[in-house]
Amino acid sequence: MTQEEEILIMPGAWNLPFRHTAGRFASRFFRELRDNKKIFGVRCPECRRVLLPPRPFCERCFASIDEWVEVGNQGTLELFTICYVPFLGLPPPPIATIMVKLDGADGCLSHILGGIDLSDVDKAPELVKIGMRVEAVWRDERKGEIGDIEYFRPVKSSRRA
Amino acid sequence: MPKRVAIVGIGQTKHEESKGHYMYHETDFEAAKRALDDASLSRGDLDTVIASGWDAIDGRTLSDMHTCMAIGGYLKDSSHAGEDGIMALVYAYLRIASGLFDVALVAGHGHREASIDAVTRVVFDPLFTRPAGRNYIITMAMQANSYMHKHGVSKEQAAKVVVKNRANGARNPYAHLDSPVTLEDVLASAPVAYPLKALDCPPESVGGVALILAAEDVVRRITDKPVWIRGIGWAIESYEMGDKDLAEIPSLAAAAQRAYKMAGIRRPLNELDLAEVHEATSFHELMDYEALGFAKPGQGAKLIDEGTTEMGGKLPVNPSGGSLCANLFGASGLVRAAEAALQLRGDAHGRQVAGASLALAHGLSAPSGAAAPTNCVAILERG
Repeated sequence: MTQEEEILIMPGAWNLPFRHTAGRFASRFFRELRDNKKIFGVRCPECRRVLLPPRPFCERCFASIDEWVEVGNQGTLELFTICYVPFLGLPPPPIATIMVKLDGADGCLSHILGGIDLSDVDKAPELVKIGMRVEAVWRDERKGEIGDIEYFRPVKSSRRA
Repeated sequence: MPKRVAIVGIGQTKHEESKGHYMYHETDFEAAKRALDDASLSRGDLDTVIASGWDAIDGRTLSDMHTCMAIGGYLKDSSHAGEDGIMALVYAYLRIASGLFDVALVAGHGHREASIDAVTRVVFDPLFTRPAGRNYIITMAMQANSYMHKHGVSKEQAAKVVVKNRANGARNPYAHLDSPVTLEDVLASAPVAYPLKALDCPPESVGGVALILAAEDVVRRITDKPVWIRGIGWAIESYEMGDKDLAEIPSLAAAAQRAYKMAGIRRPLNELDLAEVHEATSFHELMDYEALGFAKPGQGAKLIDEGTTEMGGKLPVNPSGGSLCANLFGASGLVRAAEAALQLRGDAHGRQVAGASLALAHGLSAPSGAAAPTNCVAILERG
């Protein structure tokens, strides 16, 4: 082999279709988003935690679940990161992706944060705070998917109905 | 009674930005050849081989069609761990401890054919979490933020980990990033995902690593410098990020407790001579200190502040430079075991911890990042 030998790069891509079965738990959750703008979790009969996303069993108690609990449209921002580089599947940076503990739930829902200008890299982490109150912003046209909640935004007192 | 198992051969390639003259599995081949040479064995001496790595990252399902042949598996018992190579070590350990096999070769590779961010996105649930933008580094950033927030750890303390590891890596001939950096360099590097900056994150490196394991009955025929696996433990945690306290790593704590119990270790900070930990980011090395019992919860940063984990400190951590200096995505954990074994043989030229006789190696197998990590801890002893 010589230093000058030409090495080729072969491009590749996977674009594989799937049909994911939502099952009865996710289907009911998404129907409630779409039809009623309501968010539901499920309660484990043993540890009594209200879990989100809803699921058929509690992995810790290893118990079947069948109790549904409506949780709030508002909650507490438990965790975030602000992405400054573009990532596949997210809006262009800067964008905050978050974990929200909705009122009445014990677990957090994953979503994105809107309604805040994050363009100042130094100031952005001061604008997004762990513990801040956030609320769901609903799409007018809902399709029965997590994106029926467009994003969560900080709760302002003027917005409290 | 399980058989005792020792590491009897070690092979690494140079880890680097690219190896354009290689296909991805040639790094496995080179590492396997080096490990066989190191042990003065030939392919015929191997009873079983275990390859590793994630098919989706490799861009081929059944990528072991390449890798098992590249590490000597032709017409032999072989398997492929769809995990970091540290889990190939676990499976080889079990095969030998069972008494069914005497000599095993395990290997792993890193390459740069894929976007780790794009591929690890599909690890996440398509209904609930993928639409919220989740991938390996995003979840690691969220975990780092959780840890920073809960314990008041500063970006400067995390940056000290980078400074330490990069200084160590500069003495490691296998390292990809082999230049030291300053605290200012780290803090001024480009933001990636808060609180992570570019230098808080490992590089993506091209390279290979292989280890040969042998049963106690045949070890002395192969080498007079075996490295015994005294303890080993591994554990997986929940995939549901919303259900857990991300400021801690319970799967690593559980793995460590099992390994310590097996090895009879009660006070790891005092008893170990060095540790090679698989730090996913600078913040994660501090979290690793806590999960491994080197420090109490929330106190990990004290070890970096006080110099405990530097070369020359009470417990040097990552004398190799760690993942922050060479990161084979899918084999960085196995590199930790290789580096710890080199230390115990006294063969870690340029980065040797003098007189090391007991070491810890930690591997993280987690394309989902902080969501569902599998952590493995091995306690290795100079023979």
